[in-house]
Amino acid sequence: MTRPSYLGKLVAVATASVLFGAAACSDDDDDGAGSEEAAESGDAGGGGGGGDVLAEVTERGTLNCGVNNAVPGFGFETESGELAGFDIDYCQAVAAAVLGDPEAVEYVVLTPEQRFTSLASGEIDVLIRNTTWTSTRDGQEGAAFVTTTFYDGQAMMVPSDAGVTSIDDLAGATVCLTAGTTTEQNLADRMAGIDHTPQTYEENSQVQDAFLAGQCDAWTSDASQLAGIRSNWPDDQGGPEAMTILDEIFSKEPLGPAVRDGDSEWYDVVDWVVLATIEAEELGITSENLDQMLESEDPAVRRFLGLPVDVEGEEAVVDHGFGVEPDFTQAVIGAVGNYGEIYDRNVGPDTPLQLDREGTSNALWTDGGLHYAPPFR
Amino acid sequence: MSDIARGAERSAPRGHGDQGRRLAGLVFNVRVLRVAGQVAAIALLVGLAVYLGDNYQANTRSRTGYTGWQFLDQPTGFDIDTANFRAAQPVRDALWVGVRNTAISAAAGIVVATVLGVLVGVLRLSTSWLARKTATLYVEVVRNVPVLLIILFTSAGLATLPRITEARDLGGLAVISNREISMLSPVAGDGLGTYVVVLVAALVAARLLWVRRTRVSDVTGEPHHRVLWAGGLVAVVAVGAYLVLDGPVTVSRPQLSGSGVAGGISMSIPYVALTGALGIYHGSHIAEIVRGSIQAVPHGQTEAATAIGLSSFARLRYVILPQAFRIAVPPTINQFLSLTKNTSLGIAVAYSDVSALGFRLIGSRAPALQTVLILMAVYLMFSLTTSVALNLFNRRLQLVER
Repeated sequence: MTRPSYLGKLVAVATASVLFGAAACSDDDDDGAGSEEAAESGDAGGGGGGGDVLAEVTERGTLNCGVNNAVPGFGFETESGELAGFDIDYCQAVAAAVLGDPEAVEYVVLTPEQRFTSLASGEIDVLIRNTTWTSTRDGQEGAAFVTTTFYDGQAMMVPSDAGVTSIDDLAGATVCLTAGTTTEQNLADRMAGIDHTPQTYEENSQVQDAFLAGQCDAWTSDASQLAGIRSNWPDDQGGPEAMTILDEIFSKEPLGPAVRDGDSEWYDVVDWVVLATIEAEELGITSENLDQMLESEDPAVRRFLGLPVDVEGEEAVVDHGFGVEPDFTQAVIGAVGNYGEIYDRNVGPDTPLQLDREGTSNALWTDGGLHYAPPFR
Repeated sequence: MSDIARGAERSAPRGHGDQGRRLAGLVFNVRVLRVAGQVAAIALLVGLAVYLGDNYQANTRSRTGYTGWQFLDQPTGFDIDTANFRAAQPVRDALWVGVRNTAISAAAGIVVATVLGVLVGVLRLSTSWLARKTATLYVEVVRNVPVLLIILFTSAGLATLPRITEARDLGGLAVISNREISMLSPVAGDGLGTYVVVLVAALVAARLLWVRRTRVSDVTGEPHHRVLWAGGLVAVVAVGAYLVLDGPVTVSRPQLSGSGVAGGISMSIPYVALTGALGIYHGSHIAEIVRGSIQAVPHGQTEAATAIGLSSFARLRYVILPQAFRIAVPPTINQFLSLTKNTSLGIAVAYSDVSALGFRLIGSRAPALQTVLILMAVYLMFSLTTSVALNLFNRRLQLVER
């Protein structure tokens, strides 16, 4: 613990922010002592030591959540300048569970290159920034991924009038994409043996400009991101109908929250907040019928909502032992609703993204999807 | 060492062998203090470097265990927009592609900037009002705008060229689209090696002929016509050998084929945008250097040249320009160096120069510190090579004074 000191950490963060030309906030912007500890535990995280993020968050009264502000539907700035989206809702869900107030979130906007440094250094408590769960990120970057919130995959978008129906038709094409992600590697894997020119830009807006000028034949990214970009396609360029997302998904991109390694208590809290949204949907509990559900006689519903149930002849509340109140589920569902509500509100068929959930991996397990919560008991 | 000893001795009062005083004299001696200060500063710097290095090692080991250079042999994992680079090739190959791209862009940029700069610099002193004002407008506008804006502007301008499906064929000389500009290019034929040997031999022979004609002229006084003789020899051999060897050099014409362009030499639009913009930007600076250097030649030189009856062209060619050239070289070297470093802005227009590739490698698991160190070394190497070469050139140019 002596060598990886606070100063060293600051130097590392400063170096990283210089290298990547982005503004990382200083470690101690709200309260010096708390974040200093956070920085220390960040170092310990890599080595597998302990940490006490839950106590820090409770004491601070706000949750520092690392997010994106440029992906429609997931994390983006609305016209009024507020952040909204699928990932933002999960930040609020965690804040509601831990602090009882979904608004008690301090959002930290991060670039792809910054996110893991920021998490490891203790600048943020939880990273919810459309981040793909991979083995090296879990192992090398010192991040621990909780249950996946969105099963995504890489896809290819082409102009509707190009006559391209499959990725194999793209021989000789210029494929545009953004740098700094797994996207480049997935593309190289998929296009091995197909002659193509990858053109790598720094930002999505640059790719869009190049696309509109006719400098690209195809655009590859996560399917959900492409859906968001397509939904915002300029009207004078034909609107969303001008672009087609090919059916083939050629990578696995499980997106979900990540916390620092080495703090299993905090990991459990964030993990079970995600699981609570899934379980609530399975039990049919929504933000609207929550009050009626509190009257329910169903023991599964009562256990889930932290209400007293009959345990060996006695009325008692099941304490999960996460360090949060057993009725944290009520706060979560009251604040953001169940998984289905979060999905429909941000990315579902009635939103500009128009992502169908039925028949995809994002359906509940009971509908053939992958979302499955272990029992609350 | 002896200096310090002497200094200490001098400052200590003679005849008094008191140890304490001698020590005090040593402590307050300016020379001793100066050396001690240097030693302390070096120790502090070394200490800081060791501390940071150790800290870096400890932190990376605890987090990733990734401190060595073995990543250079690992597969790159992504393709590069240059033909025949595959994702399975090691990281060092990808960096090498980046170094090559940087070198190509810098070299071409330097040529464009120099040609443009000299032309505009001379035009700024032209007697024609229009030429002078046009040149001034270019210099003042371009020189006062950040180079990044010029690059983005050029890139946006090139994006308005015809789309690849409607690429314009300029009479078989070039095919232009907003993805690439393809131009006529020479292609090596079968007998190229022989042809080069014959040409070199012809050049050597021409040189000998030149010397001989000069001597004949000196001795007999008849006109030497050495350009005619030597040039004629080279031309005859070049054409003759070309015909005999049945076309050792052929040309490849760019042609539209399907969704792209085949043949010729092809330049991608990011490359054209970056190189062109750097040429335009640094050209404006070089124009100022050229103008300033010409004006820095004392006016008396012009008067003297006029006095001995030189024509205005001869005056410029033999008196003014050789002197202006000497003044212009050192600041121009600086422009070349900064142009080379500015190629790192290629990242803004998706050109795969060595920095852009370095940052993409960091994004795909190459360790940041090592990669950035490599980038720094690459630019250092470029700058030192350029400045060594040009400084040698500069030394040859300077007047030898005794």
